Amino acid sequence: MRKAFAVVSTALLIVFALQFVFAAVGAFTKPQADSSYALHSLTGMAVIPLLTLLTTLFAYLAKAPGRLIGLSILPLGLTILQALLAMLANAFTDASGGSTVAGLIVGGLHAVNGIVAVHIVVAVVRGARKLAQSPNAVERESAAAPSVDVA
Amino acid sequence: MTTGSLLAADLVVAVLVAAGWLAAGAVAAAGRRRIALGLATCALTATIGRAITIVALSRDGWWFAAEKVLIAGPLLVAGVAVAALALLRKRTESVALLFAGYASTAAVLVTVLHGYPVSGGVALYAVSGVAAATAVTWRVLGPRPSPTVSRAAVVVAIAALVAGTGLAASAGATPAPQHQHAPVAGPAVSEPAASEPARQFTLTAGTATVEAGGKKVEAWAFNGQVPGPEIAATVGDVIEVKLRNRDIDRGVTLHWHGYDVPNDQDGVPDVTQAAVLPGQEFVYRFRADQAGTYWYHTHSASDVGVRMGLYGVLVVRPRPVSGLDVIVPVHTLSGQILPAPAVTAAAPGSPVRLRLINTDSTTHRYAVAGAPFRVAAIDGMDLRHPSPLSEQALLIPAGGRYDVLTTAPAVLYVDGRQLWSTGAQPVETAHWPVFDPLTYGTAEPVPWSRFDRSFTLVLDRGLDLRGLLPRYAHTVNGAADPDIPVQFVRRGDIVKFTIVNRSLVVHPWHLHGHHVLVLARNGQPATGSPLWLDSFDVRPGEVWEVAFEANNPGMWANHCHNLPHAGAGMMLHLAYE
Repeated sequence: MRKAFAVVSTALLIVFALQFVFAAVGAFTKPQADSSYALHSLTGMAVIPLLTLLTTLFAYLAKAPGRLIGLSILPLGLTILQALLAMLANAFTDASGGSTVAGLIVGGLHAVNGIVAVHIVVAVVRGARKLAQSPNAVERESAAAPSVDVA
Repeated sequence: MTTGSLLAADLVVAVLVAAGWLAAGAVAAAGRRRIALGLATCALTATIGRAITIVALSRDGWWFAAEKVLIAGPLLVAGVAVAALALLRKRTESVALLFAGYASTAAVLVTVLHGYPVSGGVALYAVSGVAAATAVTWRVLGPRPSPTVSRAAVVVAIAALVAGTGLAASAGATPAPQHQHAPVAGPAVSEPAASEPARQFTLTAGTATVEAGGKKVEAWAFNGQVPGPEIAATVGDVIEVKLRNRDIDRGVTLHWHGYDVPNDQDGVPDVTQAAVLPGQEFVYRFRADQAGTYWYHTHSASDVGVRMGLYGVLVVRPRPVSGLDVIVPVHTLSGQILPAPAVTAAAPGSPVRLRLINTDSTTHRYAVAGAPFRVAAIDGMDLRHPSPLSEQALLIPAGGRYDVLTTAPAVLYVDGRQLWSTGAQPVETAHWPVFDPLTYGTAEPVPWSRFDRSFTLVLDRGLDLRGLLPRYAHTVNGAADPDIPVQFVRRGDIVKFTIVNRSLVVHPWHLHGHHVLVLARNGQPATGSPLWLDSFDVRPGEVWEVAFEANNPGMWANHCHNLPHAGAGMMLHLAYE
């Protein structure tokens, strides 16, 4: 189970990296249309939430310390927030659909939130790997939570 | 504060509430009690803020606040009560704070995923989710709850899930919309006899490379040009258009946008005709009995079809053209604005008629500078006693048309870009206030004193699980095409629509086959010239009341003319009994 936890969390990290690529694909697609970000939206609203839930499930089954389980569910909340930020950024437009300062600030937060989320996933992956490598992780679990540094 | 900005503010506050309680819970779980208390105080403040936004929204209209009062409210109250109790008793604080976090997260998700109409099923799903998440949290964080508490949480979660599914399923079991696919050739518009001579046009749809903004771009075009050939007629003419499809795989049709043709000429695939596939053809024939500025476009895969260039101008003049008559059908093709900027020489003082058309899916801002102007007609219908205007910008909705009368020298700007002029000096127009057609011209009493049918259309976004793949649809009354029930009227009925926009984006509303008379916006009656529109922007938080006489029998599309929205569910039908 600890191995599975490490594998799934690593997969989540890879998808997160791809998500940045898909964002760039959307930004550089010419001409811009609602469909430019289709890949980015699909990954963000379906693949990442599913993988996050799976990671959390494996963290629980692997008897990871509570803090690591909490950390592994956190990207789910941030992903919901991420979708809401994208929606709000598009909502703050002027009468003819142009961007506004408020919209751009919210849009900027979308990027910041993405960076925060990926750092948390990095921390989860580190915690999961540590757990998978340590032979007596179960005993250590009750003693102290492994130090997880949020990079 | 407008209702639209209140809707956005409420969502922002709702997110802060959820983030605050969740963060407080997480910090409490990590053993930092003082920080947790600080965060809980912030969350409580935000929760009070949300109570204020909810009350304010409910004063603007129950549509905007129903689920917030009935579902989010109790969830938030339960969250605050449990968190406060635990903090006072200093027991299971982290679980209680996280419970408040889950409850407030569910409160946001209800609004975002299925806010209107309020549904017991959705409320039970929310309860189930909160109970399940709390039960799991409790197990993980310890101290382990007593078996009774644990079992109770599981039972609540499962019972709510089952009951919610039952309610959702029974709500979904309403009779399927009966789409009758037989178009009706109504005698409302006088049918031209087959023998009568007609103005004939042939439009061949095909892929093409056209020039836009100095670049060669891929397009779908009628007769190899974007926009397609101009169809011009004089009132009383019979128009006959032969539509051919050379190689547009998704099919084409011609919809005469705003022109109230008989139903079988309306060009809506699978409703009034079959889409014209490659190699096929279809002949449209109708009498041009309404003067005004209109346009035509494909209605088959209309989102991509119109965007790629399958559109053109339809102008019907009361008499042969005299003076300067300039048609400006604005379109964005591959990111380039059409038409190309043009200059027409005109003697100072000579009259100019500008026919401004918005063929895009979003609103454009038009500014006419150089001389005072009048808005003579909107959506092809003349206005009563239009007064001279200057330094006011015109916001034309997707699909809408304004006829503007001015004199040379004149300049036309679209979104700040000069698109046409008589060689006049450039003017700064960005700060101009926006023209409001509801208070322009002189009023006339509404021709009806009673309404035989009233329909309310609440526009929103929501999760649509009925298709093969779940999608985040644009919804009307909580449903998405093709699951929105058909609305039935009887011939001769006076029909009233109340259109409410609960969402965060503009929805340009477009009913086929009829012009609607604007009665009121946000409860304020229209005081200007009677406005007979076929395309009007319902902005976030706005409520429009419009009415029309059911005098053109058939099955008519009634949809958002932001075509990606229509494709994502915001389309329903009006049928005659």
